[in-house]
Amino acid sequence: MKECERVKKLLSRYLDEEITGIDAAFVKQHLDICNICNKEYLEFLKVKQLMLKKERKSLPEDYLISLLKEKITSRQYAEENISWLTGLSNLSRRLIPIPIAAIVLSVVFLIVVSGQKITAYSLDEHILSGSQTTTGMALGVILGTQN
Amino acid sequence: MNEDIFSIERFIAGDAEGFEILVRKYQNRTLNIVYSLIGQDRENEDIVQEVFLKVYHSLGSFRQNCQFSTWLYRITVNTTYDFLRKRKNLVNDEIAIEKSISSNDGPVEVLVKKEKKTMLEKALANIPLEYRTALVLKDIEGFDYKQIAEILCCRIGTVASKISRARQFLRGELLRLEEYLK
Ligand SMILES: [Zn+2]
Repeated sequence: MKECERVKKLLSRYLDEEITGIDAAFVKQHLDICNICNKEYLEFLKVKQLMLKKERKSLPEDYLISLLKEKITSRQYAEENISWLTGLSNLSRRLIPIPIAAIVLSVVFLIVVSGQKITAYSLDEHILSGSQTTTGMALGVILGTQN
Repeated sequence: MNEDIFSIERFIAGDAEGFEILVRKYQNRTLNIVYSLIGQDRENEDIVQEVFLKVYHSLGSFRQNCQFSTWLYRITVNTTYDFLRKRKNLVNDEIAIEKSISSNDGPVEVLVKKEKKTMLEKALANIPLEYRTALVLKDIEGFDYKQIAEILCCRIGTVASKISRARQFLRGELLRLEEYLK
């Protein structure tokens, strides 16, 4: 009985020729004298033969390659598109502070301009007087608050 | 082996033909692993495609400390497991099998013949996946235990016991299905 247990443990390996030497000789000898183990061996053999005869599938030579080419190209295209869009959104994110800064600066300038006491005299008079032009005056001219 | 390394180096150097050689060489073996693991399924080819897409994208980082085929079959097994996990179909629905066996649409002989043809497939589907995988790599792909251990990242002793368990399961399943068909 102890021998049978040992054989049962080795049976599958024996079938696959994955044991050699003493172990293989032991199994072979035991199978010759033990009907129970021999029956199990034959059943294992039948299972193995059935597996070996199992239907095999095959693909046409270039079928998979053409499918793969299509997938690889479309994935690359998608990746390029994604990276292009990501780049664009990154750029726009980086550019957003510029108009905001411009608006803030304009507001600050307007406040400064309206706060400055500018003597109302014409641009011609100012130029003729030869005095220095302040930022407020210049902006006033540009924005039309100064005449 | 050397041929594979040559193809890989060609691919890395920018020659797509290197990849195509590998696909042509291994596509059917990959397909048969998938087919034997999950049975006839319309998604067999999709899984094979996914395997080779993974190979395409990571071939550049393939380390030659194992054979290309070992690496490829590891990817194949893992991709198939992912697919099964997604489908939550790790073990085939036994009820469905019994239903198909006892269904009565057509002459009995035709049914028996048809059933016998797919009997092995059904029996295989009922074996726990880890045992089935080891058995498929042995009997369908013809690897030795050492190679299977490398593919499945386990010890040779574990491979031996998985294959032995798979055969016990399969024998039991086949006897059970044969009883139905008598
Ligand atoms: Zn015995």
